[in-house]
Amino acid sequence: MAGPQSTVPEAAGTDRAHERSFKRIFLLPAVFYLLLLSVFPTVWSLGISFTDSQRGARTTSEESAGFLGTGVQLTARNYVRMLSDQRLHTAALNTIVFVVGGVLLQYGLGFLLALVLHQQFVGRNLARVIFLMPMMVTPVAAAYMGRMLFDTRISPQAHLQRLLSSLTGTEISIPWLSEGTWATAAIILIDSWQWIPFMTLLLLAGMQGIPEEIYEAARTDGATAFQILRQITFPILLPLSITAILIRGLEIFKIIDVIVVTTGGGPGSATESLTMYLFDTALTFGNYSYAAAISFALLLLVILFATLFLTLGRRIAGQNSQ
Amino acid sequence: MRQTPWQRALLYTVVVVWSFVCLFPFYWLATTSLKTPLAVSRGPRYLPTVDYQPTGEHWQYLLNDQRDSLLRHFRNSLIAATGSTLLALVLGSMGGYGLARYRYHWRHLLNWRNHDISFWIISQRFLPPALFVVPFLLLFSQLNLVDTHLGLILAYTLFNIPFAVWIMRDFFVNLPIDLEESALVDGATAWQTFVRIVLPLSTPGLVSVAIFSFVFSWNEFLYALMLTNYEAITLPVLIAGQNNTRGIQWWYISALTLAAVTPVVLIGLALERYITRGLTAGAVKG
Repeated sequence: MAGPQSTVPEAAGTDRAHERSFKRIFLLPAVFYLLLLSVFPTVWSLGISFTDSQRGARTTSEESAGFLGTGVQLTARNYVRMLSDQRLHTAALNTIVFVVGGVLLQYGLGFLLALVLHQQFVGRNLARVIFLMPMMVTPVAAAYMGRMLFDTRISPQAHLQRLLSSLTGTEISIPWLSEGTWATAAIILIDSWQWIPFMTLLLLAGMQGIPEEIYEAARTDGATAFQILRQITFPILLPLSITAILIRGLEIFKIIDVIVVTTGGGPGSATESLTMYLFDTALTFGNYSYAAAISFALLLLVILFATLFLTLGRRIAGQNSQ
Repeated sequence: MRQTPWQRALLYTVVVVWSFVCLFPFYWLATTSLKTPLAVSRGPRYLPTVDYQPTGEHWQYLLNDQRDSLLRHFRNSLIAATGSTLLALVLGSMGGYGLARYRYHWRHLLNWRNHDISFWIISQRFLPPALFVVPFLLLFSQLNLVDTHLGLILAYTLFNIPFAVWIMRDFFVNLPIDLEESALVDGATAWQTFVRIVLPLSTPGLVSVAIFSFVFSWNEFLYALMLTNYEAITLPVLIAGQNNTRGIQWWYISALTLAAVTPVVLIGLALERYITRGLTAGAVKG
């Protein structure tokens, strides 16, 4: 991560005050932007989460001076409410299922496809471009494509299921999108269709960085292709794999668009994600303070996931290198 | 490595099967946009003119009757994505250059150095966007930025800056320093060196940043849904909105979706190598 740090202007010995001002001019705009639109809103939101502010509600300034004379009463009510909010718990569980399921599928298939693209074959460049295509699609569009193809009346699935039914002699009809578990699977499949290319591209770049001599040495020692994969390729790519899975996992935590288009969170709230529940709380019910509290629960979950995963990943990587 | 015929057969099977998985949804989208409502509802039809009579009716409706609406939303997406991309390019390349070439030490602010600052900046990219739903709703309505292009640009730039800084820093670190040194010796200021010498050499990095920022902003849904209600609605929100009106009109949605997706897919395919490069910046080198 830390590349060679060179300090041109200091080395060139230009005027010191001048040079310090340039140093600031380069970095500070980006830093101020993030302070203004990320740090400040986060802190503000944390404050809101400890109030009971609602859309359109009048402030209680007539009643008392409140916290630090701001006219706002501080309360931990939102955080207490979260403990017994069943819908929130379902949404959190769903989100975790989306993350774990999606990451496993995307990493597994992504790795396999990277191995394929790493081989020499005619049409390899074309295959790489085709494999990349789903990643460019607007998630909302991918969700519509998925919804169309998971509709068992109008998609080729109608014929597929009829064929399977006549082969097995039993009626086979998969309730994609209308039954909780299948709908969860469908959403994971749509997200994976779109993001497997991400894993493939990243892992392929990693494979291309492994020097050919290592493979040759292993082959002269009589190692089989599977042994090479298990004992060379996989361990070398492990740090990269950890990064890739972490990035994808953090992205899936944000999932909302695919769900809005395919199931709208249903049936019931079987596929509702945390972001979706939060959005509903803030915009439909106008309960800003509770929505803010949920966002911090989500943040906590994300940080927990990242820490746990990184610790686990480092431990596995450590065992592998011994 | 030499492949046995079996390995070769397996290889091509996987390639063909996965290419089919990638391409079939696009094929289905394109053909559905040519079907009559009847041809859609009577179960799957596969080949135009063979098992159904294609019609250009929906495209005609989209491009003639709905022309103004389509163009307006297209323009909104284009303005939001371009504006945010430009802002991210400027702030990101400046920040990346600072972090690559100077040593920072914020003695009074957490005692942070370059490494900490870089990590903090990239970590902003991975914060859940849900974190900003409430404060942005309140802030943007206070500032009258709801339903404006500027509002969207400001929100998207927040998520584009971290990636832009990250990619550009990685790019600048690997850029040979000699040219900059000689320019400085010749009396150019650091700013002149940056603009006239460093930036022209950094086109590949800038292109990567531009693609990622543009595609992210073009495809973004949550903030577009939250911060727009009529004037500034972007394509993803327009498409998602087709859900509720008069049942689901697959034929029309397919045409609309295809129209919205095509530009970005084409950009992506044309600039594929820059995408790989951007993805691997930082990640591969760890």
